[in-house]
Amino acid sequence: MKRALILAAALALGTASLAAQGVMVAPHAVFIDHRVRSGSVLLYNPGTEPVEVTISTLFGYPVTDSTGAIGLRTVDAPDSTLPSALAWIQAFPRRLTVGPRERQTVRLLARPPAGLADGEYWVRLMIAAQAGRVPITGAGDTTAIQVGLTLEVRTIIGVNYRKGAVSTGVTLSNVRAQVLGDSLVTWSKLERRGNAAFIGTVRETLVDSTGAVRTTYNSPLGVYFTMQPRLATALAAPLPRGRYWLRYELVTEREDLDPAVLLKAPAVRDSVQLVVP
Amino acid sequence: MKRVLLLTLVTLIGGRLHSQGKPLVITGVRGVTFGTVLPGVPTVVLRTDPVNSGQFNIKGPKGGPAVLSFVLPLTMTGPAGAVMSLTFGSSDAGYSATQSIGSQVGFDPKQPFTVAIPNNGTASVFVGATVNPAANQRAGAYTATIIFTVTYL
Repeated sequence: MKRALILAAALALGTASLAAQGVMVAPHAVFIDHRVRSGSVLLYNPGTEPVEVTISTLFGYPVTDSTGAIGLRTVDAPDSTLPSALAWIQAFPRRLTVGPRERQTVRLLARPPAGLADGEYWVRLMIAAQAGRVPITGAGDTTAIQVGLTLEVRTIIGVNYRKGAVSTGVTLSNVRAQVLGDSLVTWSKLERRGNAAFIGTVRETLVDSTGAVRTTYNSPLGVYFTMQPRLATALAAPLPRGRYWLRYELVTEREDLDPAVLLKAPAVRDSVQLVVP
Repeated sequence: MKRVLLLTLVTLIGGRLHSQGKPLVITGVRGVTFGTVLPGVPTVVLRTDPVNSGQFNIKGPKGGPAVLSFVLPLTMTGPAGAVMSLTFGSSDAGYSATQSIGSQVGFDPKQPFTVAIPNNGTASVFVGATVNPAANQRAGAYTATIIFTVTYL
């Protein structure tokens, strides 16, 4: 009873919040040319406390699951059939502390095997930052329960290594569209061509029977092998009954990337009819 | 020694930077806090709790495709190796494109969740949890780590 009373009386789990912590990672995608064989990533700590950072690499690429949701498939030990740079791109340093308002550079060094075929090779860089601790008030009080949760944030960005002649493209098939609730939902099948990832944007335009544009939607996308993405966009207003056309287009343009790093490829398009009953 | 030489080499080369793109900042704002915990009585923190829910902020290129995922602890570790159970429900995480705790799309923190970074370049993720102290839970400090990962696609 005494124990219960003590516990009931004591246990404040720190409404204390931790000072916001994390690191800025720039850029959010790295492209390395075989002629240079190195790259870098800048880390900046905008916070007021030092942040411990751990750098690691992994191999993975975007895929879709059976519902069309996009995720990252990771492969612990990629074999020779996969265009992996995991074994020969290294980051230095791998552990560092970034002080408040300080910036540090992580170097990427590539040591590709002799005779590496032309093409694009991928690795992912994981930047893990210990984001601080919830202060545990009264930690010296052994009669009460206190709980503190440590946060860790991880940022995973792509590193694309290009050697020699690289090209990309994509084929588009099985485009479908449906209005579900207050959203326009689309599905398609995308298959990459060439020897490099198709990094671009899906542009969707919904037009009514008079040709008026009812909604547009852009979704940045990377097609590394094959994917069947489900894309959903909220409609500003319910669509009246009638027939509509969805124009579906993939282009090698990205708002978030410098055009200089994008491999050009012809746009692909398709249209499907959509009936709102 | 070999590593030092490699690093020196890279630094000297200066690494002509082919990397392009805008910064990405993932920030831990506050942890999940449970307030008063009674032995044997589960305590729930909702993701909509403006004081006690955990919060992460995301700042990045507008429209950027990203996958959000968590590594969640099953238990918290306390004094002398004591443990306390911690659970996360299928809607214990929420994504807010406006960073408003009152405007979230719930998702399962045990499953990856794909988003496009909003046009203003900022978003927030909130998380709640349930702590399950045993009736004879040992007193003391308990800790665990929530890992939040943003994978830029």
